[in-house]
Amino acid sequence: MTVVSAQPSSSSTRNAAYHQLVAQRNSFTLTMTITFLVLYFLLPVLAGYNKPLMAQKVLGNITFGYVLAFLEFVMGWVMAYIYVVKARTFDRLALEAQQ
Amino acid sequence: MTLLLAAVIVAITLGVTFWASRRNTSAGDFYVAGGKISATQNGVAIAGDYMSAASFLGITGLIALNGYDGFMYSVGWFIAYLTVLFIVAEPLRNLGKYTLADMLVYRLKDPRVRTYAALSTITISTFYMIAQVVGAGSLISLLSGGLIKAELAIPLVGVLMIVYVVVGGMLATTWVQIIKAALLMFATVVMTVLILNRFGWSFSNLLGQVEAKNGAEFLGAGVKYKNPVDLISLGLALVLGTAGLPHILVRFFTVPTAQDARKSVVWAMVLIGAFYVMTAFLGNAANVLLGKEAIESANKAGNMAAPLLAQALFGGVGTTGGEFGLAFVTAVAFATILAVVAGLTISASTSFTHDIYNGVLKGGQASETDQFRVARLATVAVGIVAILLGLLAKSQNVAFLVALAFAIAASANLPVILFTLFWKKFNATGAIWGLVGGILFTLLLIGLSPNIMKIDPETVTTGRHLIQANAIFPLENPGLISIPAGFLFAVIGTMIGAARRNEADDARHFEEMQYRAYTGAGMDGSVAAHD
Repeated sequence: MTVVSAQPSSSSTRNAAYHQLVAQRNSFTLTMTITFLVLYFLLPVLAGYNKPLMAQKVLGNITFGYVLAFLEFVMGWVMAYIYVVKARTFDRLALEAQQ
Repeated sequence: MTLLLAAVIVAITLGVTFWASRRNTSAGDFYVAGGKISATQNGVAIAGDYMSAASFLGITGLIALNGYDGFMYSVGWFIAYLTVLFIVAEPLRNLGKYTLADMLVYRLKDPRVRTYAALSTITISTFYMIAQVVGAGSLISLLSGGLIKAELAIPLVGVLMIVYVVVGGMLATTWVQIIKAALLMFATVVMTVLILNRFGWSFSNLLGQVEAKNGAEFLGAGVKYKNPVDLISLGLALVLGTAGLPHILVRFFTVPTAQDARKSVVWAMVLIGAFYVMTAFLGNAANVLLGKEAIESANKAGNMAAPLLAQALFGGVGTTGGEFGLAFVTAVAFATILAVVAGLTISASTSFTHDIYNGVLKGGQASETDQFRVARLATVAVGIVAILLGLLAKSQNVAFLVALAFAIAASANLPVILFTLFWKKFNATGAIWGLVGGILFTLLLIGLSPNIMKIDPETVTTGRHLIQANAIFPLENPGLISIPAGFLFAVIGTMIGAARRNEADDARHFEEMQYRAYTGAGMDGSVAAHD
């Protein structure tokens, strides 16, 4: 038995706001995900294949490895913030999509 | 002193549990606290659920003994939350009611998927729990100076977690996690401030002293991990595994809307990130102030680094301040263990009751009262099983079980979650193949890896490996091989299932799923248990 839903169920009946939401959200998610994966994997890849660089001192006794690791944290917070800002647009489109 | 503080923490959490019991009267309350937890509370609870003893004691010890390599764990465990934030949290809240299986069944319209998703959840939670419970046994025995043996500590932790969950359900579990997160953050911040004060408010100065003590290599990578491929494989499992961990996923059903789920992750990221950054200070300071020999003589794996560091920072051995510091951090570690096992217990028993008992056995027709009763019985059963397995494995090397849990979550759950959300042609056969194949293949690789197969020297008596032979599969963490394999299984299954599908129906189900996932429309409607 199928549960009958009250919403229209073919994509042609969805409004423009919805199509915009899907397109924007998908491209945003893809871009952000690829970006953070690439930036994150710099760390294990460099730690594995370029030990001299990781041990290089850049700020007093603070090595490049620590600087890179701390930057990863900054990257995480910044990307989360960018997402939160962008999500306001998604929320607005989501409301319009249900009109 | 330690026992007194630990007793205070237990008393407070039990008090909260009995307060919560008045609001734990239906299955929905039990599973997800009625979905009425606020975003901020949930964010703090996620942090409390996630930062296990492995994070607090384990990483501090790893950094103290191996320098920089230990800190790489911290980064991976934090960055993992971007995967949760961007991909999983909001659609999960919009599509599911109590469990991951809800979301998969809503999209794939096949009750068989529920069984396998529940099995995956129960498998992951059980492995994770054995690691936590065995860890709790040795830690409590270590922390209490041998006063409480592992044989006593394991049942003690088990009974406490059963009480929290059975009496207080998800509401009590959430508050235990919040209290623990607050205690852990407080302890870590105080220690970090004391460390900075000692080293002239300069991380460079601290590292300078680490170098003077251990040589320059300690500040760079490669003290612990010689094999680059191992590092990348581990990183992959950490970053992709979190988004498939059942006890983290279940937390997103406790808030009312997708926006709250989003805010929860952001709050969790603030706390978790701050905590992991501080592990760099804790670990390095433990190395300088205590020295490797002292840390290793207390515990080979370095688990005593954090409590001993607190002792040193608060005035040293034999001073009132020092003893208080040691006792406080020990009590916090104890609270940490309790909060994490309670979270694991509730995710396992919710999955059993909601998915297997009600969804599969009763065809979604079980009454609230009935489900509530079974959920509490399941909790007692899960708790007893955890205690027994913990006692059996207490002298085994179980540290790899956490890595295994992450690897299964990344190889079985994540491919299925991603395909469910983004792949139009994905079908139930693909989901079942992906879940079963991902779990079995990961188990096989771990079984053939150095985690299980290793020749221990005769002198090693505790933590011996199960098979005394050379490993067939070289990687400690199978992520690099098992994650792509998990995706492949799901694809193969989808192709096999495609012959028997009605494409128009599948496309419609995908479209309906997408509409609800992206807009949250109609999410308050009940989730159909079967098609």
